[in-house]
Amino acid sequence: MDDTILDVSGLSLDFRTGRGRIRALRDVSFPVRRGRILGIVGESGSGKSTVLWSILGLLARNAEVTSGRIAFQGRDLLGLDDEALRAIRGEKISVVFQDPMTSQIPVLPYARQFSDILYRRSMSRAEKRDAAVELLRRVGIPDPEDRIDAYPHQFSGGMRQRAAIAMSMLTGPNLLLADEPTTALDVTMEAQMIDLMRDLRAAFDTTIVVVSHNLGLIAEMCDDVVVMYAGEVVETGEVRDIFHNARHPYTRALLECDPARVERTGGRLPVIPGDIPDLSASLTGCIFAARCPRAMPICRTETPPDVARGTGHARCHLLEGPGADPDWPPPAGVVAVGRTDPPPAAVRPKRSGEPLLEVRGLNVRFGTMGPIRARIRGVRDPFVDAVLDVDLSVAPGETLALVGESGSGKSTLGRAILNLLPVNRGSVSFDGQSVENRPERRFKPLRRDMAMMFQDPVGSLSPRKSVRALITEPLVIHGAGGRDLNAEAERLADMVRLPRNFLSRYPHELSGGQARRVGVARALSLNPRLIIADEPTAGLDVSVQGEILNLMADLQAEHGLGYLIITHNLPVVRHIADRIAIMYLGRMVEEGPAAEVFAAPAHPYTHALVSGVPYPDPDRRRPPSSAISGEVPSLLRRPPGCDFAPRCPFARPACREAKPPTVHLSPERRHACLFPLVPPERQN
Amino acid sequence: MPLSPVADAGARRDRRDRLRRFLSDWQAVVGLALVILFVASAVFAPWIAPYDPNAMDIPARMSGPSWAHLAGTDQLGRDTFSRILHGGRVALLIAAIGVSVSLVVGLILGMIAGFGPRWLDSLLLLVFDGVRSFPSIILALATVALTGPSLTVVLAIVIITSIPGYARVARTATLALRHAEFILAERSLGAGTTRILLHHMMPNVIGPLLILAAMDVPVVVSIEAGLSFLGIGVLPPRSSWGTILNEGYLLIRDAPWMVVAGGIPLILTTLGFTFLGEALRDTFDPRMGRER
Repeated sequence: MDDTILDVSGLSLDFRTGRGRIRALRDVSFPVRRGRILGIVGESGSGKSTVLWSILGLLARNAEVTSGRIAFQGRDLLGLDDEALRAIRGEKISVVFQDPMTSQIPVLPYARQFSDILYRRSMSRAEKRDAAVELLRRVGIPDPEDRIDAYPHQFSGGMRQRAAIAMSMLTGPNLLLADEPTTALDVTMEAQMIDLMRDLRAAFDTTIVVVSHNLGLIAEMCDDVVVMYAGEVVETGEVRDIFHNARHPYTRALLECDPARVERTGGRLPVIPGDIPDLSASLTGCIFAARCPRAMPICRTETPPDVARGTGHARCHLLEGPGADPDWPPPAGVVAVGRTDPPPAAVRPKRSGEPLLEVRGLNVRFGTMGPIRARIRGVRDPFVDAVLDVDLSVAPGETLALVGESGSGKSTLGRAILNLLPVNRGSVSFDGQSVENRPERRFKPLRRDMAMMFQDPVGSLSPRKSVRALITEPLVIHGAGGRDLNAEAERLADMVRLPRNFLSRYPHELSGGQARRVGVARALSLNPRLIIADEPTAGLDVSVQGEILNLMADLQAEHGLGYLIITHNLPVVRHIADRIAIMYLGRMVEEGPAAEVFAAPAHPYTHALVSGVPYPDPDRRRPPSSAISGEVPSLLRRPPGCDFAPRCPFARPACREAKPPTVHLSPERRHACLFPLVPPERQN
Repeated sequence: MPLSPVADAGARRDRRDRLRRFLSDWQAVVGLALVILFVASAVFAPWIAPYDPNAMDIPARMSGPSWAHLAGTDQLGRDTFSRILHGGRVALLIAAIGVSVSLVVGLILGMIAGFGPRWLDSLLLLVFDGVRSFPSIILALATVALTGPSLTVVLAIVIITSIPGYARVARTATLALRHAEFILAERSLGAGTTRILLHHMMPNVIGPLLILAAMDVPVVVSIEAGLSFLGIGVLPPRSSWGTILNEGYLLIRDAPWMVVAGGIPLILTTLGFTFLGEALRDTFDPRMGRER
């Protein structure tokens, strides 16, 4: 029997828009084999989600399939009417969405949402409930009999995604589609989700299609991989073949640019120069030619051949025909495609002199209710501590990375340092003078020296202002009298390598990488000495984040900037940070030189984070159930003793009794764990 | 390589797309035509009107529609068509001043309520709701009892009763954006409250208010007509659609054309602005504007 459960062949799709037809998918073909996990990987704009929606028949109204077939168990899904599609959707094909927050109905309890899914089945209400409880237990929700009556907002992010997976498995589908299933989750949650999905695939004999930009996730859980670029499938194959023996230059470039795969630290990250092509223009030749360093004249004129090699296909002139290169592909490990610029001429000055920023015993708390209501309810302490007794310092020319999952208080700390939130206790000094809780009028001059880059590259730009106005606004605010703002705008655009004609664009017309450059330019416009960057690579594609990080490194080398980088992205931290500080539930649990901390974490939480990142190599998969259990607890329910003890695999009774003190391993290295993981001989 | 070959055309192309979508809507075209008709006839009334609106022609009094008097004459022999054209000037004046003043004041108060401290928000909301709970006619009657009828009173009533509507919309939009990342980013750059409100909040809040204003014009025009009809608005001999209706109502058995002639412009103007407002909303609503 044929073991292909889903066969997409020759699928082409246009979006009709006000500015003409956008050819979003062109001749997309790939089979999905029964019982396997197929990953569709690509950057934003690659069309990977569009493929998913066309399988489900849930395309936007302006989409038009121009050719192709999507055969599911022998039937062409594109030819079915709505009625027939509805019978398949949810029953035979189901889907897990990226954001469980928005894909579940907020006003209905889970019990109702689950029984609604089974509306076609002739089962009693009790039977439906039992089936749902059983599945919730299966996906690891504690006390499912009670929790099934909860509403989505009563679940934490990780539990919500577990419930979403349970919902999609309820009808026992043959095919499960997952759209970026872990992107909205933290590192430790991501590892748990990967385990869960692998586990369910084995238990329910389901075929899974995962769409993701995350190479680590793909390597960790997939059997087969489809690589997409700008609406085309450029390469397919089994996961080992793709990761070890990639044949298409784009696949190679993706792999080479992933910071997790670049072993050498301290140098510049490889990048793919350029941007995804405009799909409303006419397309000739190879779609990747404009960005491909191996592009030949033939690549710009002739459509590349679809060459079957190994376990899959690749579309490239280098493989067959007049442009064939017998030495292609080069062995794994050779950087062949990504562009690695020589390191900047000026060597990064080692941290020197007095610290630029010094934070001592900082506490930030939020009120949970007003004073009157607290008095009425008899709550004595209507506060939660978001940041507790944090010490840190940043020297000029130094990069300190502040790492933690959501809810760790790292963003709150950054905002408190910049006086955007009031400080409850402790001190913040900048350049030797104490600055915490200054009235805005007296803090304003300091804003020239301390700049912040925000998490959302586009959302942190005022939407109705042109790039020119945005870049020069800091100069206007701080009264740069007499300066030629136009010239300044051009100088700054050049500095962040943003083409000058972008100055008259508006934020919604920028890609993530371009918007991020504008953010960098704004932060730099007043020549600050310290930059606090909140997730500087969030929302950026792998090929672009390298450019931003390289740019930041160049500017640091040139101006001796101090960076405080707030992030959860550990592979990136490994490349850019001199020192790292790990936060959990508002406390600093470990701090030290980046290389040392990565090589030998002292705190079990650090260890969990470092080992929790899926490594983009299918041969280095973690054994199942090595993921750390549980989730970051709510600040309202801070555990007694060590904050991490309830989740810690090494916790002993002593951990649950008292807060562990901060211990210095060396002048540079400290941790807050009673039983650190560092071998005793390292402890002096 | 930039996303589009013509780099700077992005914003312009968006605007052109929007205009084309707007003009492909029949409601928009009809609405726009009616609004232009209203504004033009009011502005050019002295030149278009065949007679002086207050010139009496006693021998021709109460004559029905004819080529000499398109909409007949009233009990004093004044040409109704000319009076309607001149009455449109009153309607336009009230609409323009009333709507624009209440929009500006409502916008400012709404942004203050949305961005300021909690107690100020509560206080302003209380005031808005208090004003809204007053029927405008009763408010007008009470005011006129104190001051006597005049155009100024009509304007004041219109403005006071419309402000809360604009303020509420502005407040809600401001609240939604208050914690947006770009506002925090502006604060981190040292931007003061005035700068944040005027440069960053206002451009994002004003869109829905403009649409609301277009739909509010007929309301304002009918308030004026209603007050004038009741005899507490525009005073004779000045003509307004309300006074024409009032006089026509008294003579409805002998000169029915006056009520008809006074009502038609009111209906057309209301339809025109309502169509225009709805078409504007459809065009600018972000949920309709996204193409993906």
